[in-house]
Amino acid sequence: MPAIRVRRAVVALVALAAVYGIAAEIGRERLPNRVWLGAHYVENVQLLPTLRSLAEEGAFLIESEILPSSIAVSVRRVLIGLVLGSLVGIFLGLATGWAVRLEYLADPWVTLFRFTPALALLPLYVIWFGYGETPKILLIASGVAVVTLLGAHQGVRSVPRAYLDAAASLGAGPSLAFRKIVLPFALPHIIASVRIAVGLAWVTIVVAELIDARMPSLGYLLALSGAYPRVPTMLIGIATVGLLVLGFDTLTLLLHARVTRWMRRTA
Amino acid sequence: MANDLLAPLEAKDVGYTYSGATSTDALEGLSLKVADGEFVAVLGPVGCGKTTLLRIFAGFLRPTKGSVHCAGAPIDGPGWQKGYVLQEETIFPWMTVRENIEFGLLAKGLLPPARRAVCDELLGLIGLSAFEEAYPKELSAGMSKMVEVARVLANDPSILLLDEPFGALDSQTRARMQDALARLWEQRRKTVLFVTHDAEEALYLADRIVVLTQRPGRIKAQFAVQIPRPRSFETRFSPGFLALKRQVLEAAAA
Amino acid sequence: MKPVIPQRPLLWLASLAALAGVYTLVSSRAARPDVLPSAQDIAETFTALLGSGQPQPVNGQHAHAGHPGHSSDQVETLIQQGVSLQASLAISTARVLFGLLVGLPLGTLIGLLLAWNRRTDDYLHPIYVLLRSVPPLALITYIMLWLGHSEAHRLIPIVYAVATTAVIPTYHGVRDVAAKYVVAARSLGARGRLLLTKVLLPAASPAVLGGLRYSLAIAWMTAVGAEMLMAENGMGNLLVGGGMWASRLQTRSDPAVILVGIMALAAVGWAMDASARILTARLTRWVR
Repeated sequence: MPAIRVRRAVVALVALAAVYGIAAEIGRERLPNRVWLGAHYVENVQLLPTLRSLAEEGAFLIESEILPSSIAVSVRRVLIGLVLGSLVGIFLGLATGWAVRLEYLADPWVTLFRFTPALALLPLYVIWFGYGETPKILLIASGVAVVTLLGAHQGVRSVPRAYLDAAASLGAGPSLAFRKIVLPFALPHIIASVRIAVGLAWVTIVVAELIDARMPSLGYLLALSGAYPRVPTMLIGIATVGLLVLGFDTLTLLLHARVTRWMRRTA
Repeated sequence: MANDLLAPLEAKDVGYTYSGATSTDALEGLSLKVADGEFVAVLGPVGCGKTTLLRIFAGFLRPTKGSVHCAGAPIDGPGWQKGYVLQEETIFPWMTVRENIEFGLLAKGLLPPARRAVCDELLGLIGLSAFEEAYPKELSAGMSKMVEVARVLANDPSILLLDEPFGALDSQTRARMQDALARLWEQRRKTVLFVTHDAEEALYLADRIVVLTQRPGRIKAQFAVQIPRPRSFETRFSPGFLALKRQVLEAAAA
Repeated sequence: MKPVIPQRPLLWLASLAALAGVYTLVSSRAARPDVLPSAQDIAETFTALLGSGQPQPVNGQHAHAGHPGHSSDQVETLIQQGVSLQASLAISTARVLFGLLVGLPLGTLIGLLLAWNRRTDDYLHPIYVLLRSVPPLALITYIMLWLGHSEAHRLIPIVYAVATTAVIPTYHGVRDVAAKYVVAARSLGARGRLLLTKVLLPAASPAVLGGLRYSLAIAWMTAVGAEMLMAENGMGNLLVGGGMWASRLQTRSDPAVILVGIMALAAVGWAMDASARILTARLTRWVR
């Protein structure tokens, strides 16, 4: 990335932090610090914690292993769900994209899943699999599978007919054509859908962990910090989730760039 | 209906560098003066900076070195006086042919009857009156391009900047479009800067040909085209034409 | 792109019937009505939930799931609270629509701002990326501190989700698609409002409208999630059993309720998506 853009980005982020810092200082005096928690008031709550208290809280959370272990648990769930869901989704998507009849058969199922917000399945999974890891991971996998299925399907469908005809004229059978033409073409679409799936996975896990909050997990951290309330922890928790999402997203973007290198005309 | 006293285009020692991950020098030390009512063709290989030059004249880019002037005043932005037809297809697909042609007049604030009159005249000139209410998706590439040219002419600018407008067309359509453009230009003399990579097209249309080098673009050679007008199909095979064509191609290849 | 009406209706219907058939078979074979309710249970739950919307005393039919006159803890709790399927659906839809109404213009505006010139893009884009990385529902506990348990505190995540989603298609629509038309228009003398309304917006509209369906999906996700966490009405609440936050998922959940809820959500979701598709096609008839 050209230097000037990096510089401007840094300026913007520093400015944001500065604005927050100022707002927090002003807030200390001006903002109300009584918070209604549904049953009672809690005094002495800083709605906008100062940068310093955030830093202190952050240090505490890291040293006491609370944050790292929460991160590890949530990340693990997201990763397993992503991998599981992607494998199923991509496989099905490629299959239904390639074999038209399969598509018509699968369509009602896909439609049902597609228009069901993934979160709605959580209570169902809890009934079927009890509490614990399984329903959460399955929930992520379900959402991811739907998104990647559509992506893979789109990817297969987006191969220009001309390429397939050219391949047929060169004597390529369906299996070779699929491996050497359809897959490379579908890959960018698939990765783009994985990117969307990553965002979805994180949204899902946060809510699932908020609803079924047990230690240690990021959702639990958010829920617990809301109960006291302990605002610095909450904000750090939110920021951590944000940074993790950003990290995953960036990795996926890099993967996408790598995979589409052949698509961009240089000069 | 010329609306300016004199409207030459002038570039003085113009250079342009694209900044980015790797900086590219598109143009270097380019000086060019276009006289009033002159039709100048800019010829050069792919990537030699022809489009950059045109965009600078159109007011979308500021030269990193040197200066450009229009009628004596420095160029500081786009405007209807410098009608610009891009290489890509830019006919507005959400408007009808008529709305496209009338667009510049709408921007000027003309009322519907006045706009209509201008549009009707131009449609007649390019022979597309039947397609007045059609949408671009119903037109061929050649027809779309002519609408873009007509659209720009509707404003009656004194300067026309055309960037390989017929590049995407097949040779028959291209020949027809070249004739149409030549007719139009003969009726309403304008100062034209016409970019192309086709030597024959340049010879057919222009008064002067400017040949650019490879990137970074510099003027390699210039040719005055003294072939009499109106030029026609036969002109393309006349000895004078062919001799000049040979010279131009040799200069371009050198 | 999947067509609105399936092209081979017969195969589609056959598959649908097969789905229903397989389910009925599996559920009756399994004979675990508390896990896989029979089709009859589902139908009965459906009718039970189409209540009047007024809280009703339950007349003690604590028959377990799977028996005639199907009832269950969850159904009873819901009926007691006056929760009905159609009211919940209506409320959730209202929340989604609100989120779209406010979030779409907001997101489009931000997208326009980012794409307008390189400068603002360089400065503002990183901030946007940071903001959109935070899942809106993660914010909901924080927002509650500011606004308490109010409708606003539920609606803000939805608006936030829709807005952040709508930025990207607008951004690309303006930068990648509309750019060349803007150049042509400026060379024709267009400026300001004319340039914006007659050139930029129409040119970017296919891309923007393309993102509409995705915003729709996100809006539903966020709405249902917010309701599951923090609402006493709406579909999310129905699915989780009508208790307050602390006791979510503690009521003995009835799978029939959940399946009914899911099917209802899928139906409404499909309808809204189909409408979005038709709307998009209408508005972009000029696209080649």
